[in-house]
Amino acid sequence: MDIVVKKIVREVKKGNQEAFSELVELYKDKVYHVSYRMIGNTHEAQDIAQEAFLRAYMNIESYDEERKFSTWIYRITTNLTIDRIRKKKPDFHLEDRVSGTENLDYHSQFADDVELPEDQIVKLEMQQWIQEEIMRLPPKYRSAVILKYLEDLSIKEISEILHLPEATVKTRIHRGREALRKRLN
Amino acid sequence: MACTQEKRELLDAYLDEELTLLEAKQLEAHIYECESCEQHLQELKRSVAIIQSASHFEAPRHFTEGVMNRLPEQPARTKWKHRIRRNPLIVAAAAFLLVFVMSMAGGMGDGQEMVVEGEGQFLLDREQNLVIIPEGSTVDGDLTIRNGDIEINGEVTGTVTVVNGQHLQASASGAAGEIEEINDALEQIWFQVRSFTADLIPSGSDEE
Repeated sequence: MDIVVKKIVREVKKGNQEAFSELVELYKDKVYHVSYRMIGNTHEAQDIAQEAFLRAYMNIESYDEERKFSTWIYRITTNLTIDRIRKKKPDFHLEDRVSGTENLDYHSQFADDVELPEDQIVKLEMQQWIQEEIMRLPPKYRSAVILKYLEDLSIKEISEILHLPEATVKTRIHRGREALRKRLN
Repeated sequence: MACTQEKRELLDAYLDEELTLLEAKQLEAHIYECESCEQHLQELKRSVAIIQSASHFEAPRHFTEGVMNRLPEQPARTKWKHRIRRNPLIVAAAAFLLVFVMSMAGGMGDGQEMVVEGEGQFLLDREQNLVIIPEGSTVDGDLTIRNGDIEINGEVTGTVTVVNGQHLQASASGAAGEIEEINDALEQIWFQVRSFTADLIPSGSDEE
């Protein structure tokens, strides 16, 4: 594992609360991105991502330094997100607007008075469409597909994060891929 | 759609790069002949490419602050211990023997500058406006801090006076004399008068 990360973790374990902010800085983008892609809503994603770090802090003693910190924090994040998705119990039909994406507004990430050029708008709409397609995947395929194709993780890492046998991870990626193939072509 | 279930599984394994070289060659030869398998593979590749073109988002601004604000409070003692350990600059800059009078502004405590008067070894945290008497260190005689806080982990033999600041440690065990906090304006004036007269009586100092 990265020596710097190891050092920071040791400091946190010793009770140095401020050192934890360095861990947050290092991993916040990854954690936020995964939770955003899985839940499809910026507010909830931020909430989940912060909660993930809070849990990491509270349970830092149980973190095994021989393993990658990213695997551990991803695991906390995906667990929290899957819990959140279950609680929402979306009762949706395939043709409905995907639940959880109604707040998905890329335009809101820019200042209101900024006029976006045409190609930017096309790009944003394309991105919005991709996220909608990700949200249509059943959560268990969704997490595997995101970790594999957006986070570029190995099957082994994904199996550690999701606590599933590698064969199961592969099956989920295949099914997710197949579902996307049917919709996107 | 791939022509058979078996070929479909092979296509998946092919995409996952899990076929042996020979198996891959054989499948490629088949794809060359079989239009439906070729189309299936192209569609899978296209789907993956679309998903991979999703842009990466960064965490919102002030994310780290948000997390840090939600962490449970720590006992003040451990917090200071770590701050001092983590900021060797503060220690290096401040841990020298102070003989009699030390004034950061040069003047005598006018304005908001922190002023420390005392004899002994202590640490100054300028950012926090904090004076720390570390464990094992002794200040002989009285100690006066203006516009700053004091934390005593070591010992002060005389009286500790804090003007416009606080004494941060709960127990008064570190100070042999009494600890006085003067924060009220009237009290401050009274203190100035008192110490001014006190300054006049002993062997005249060379302050202006």
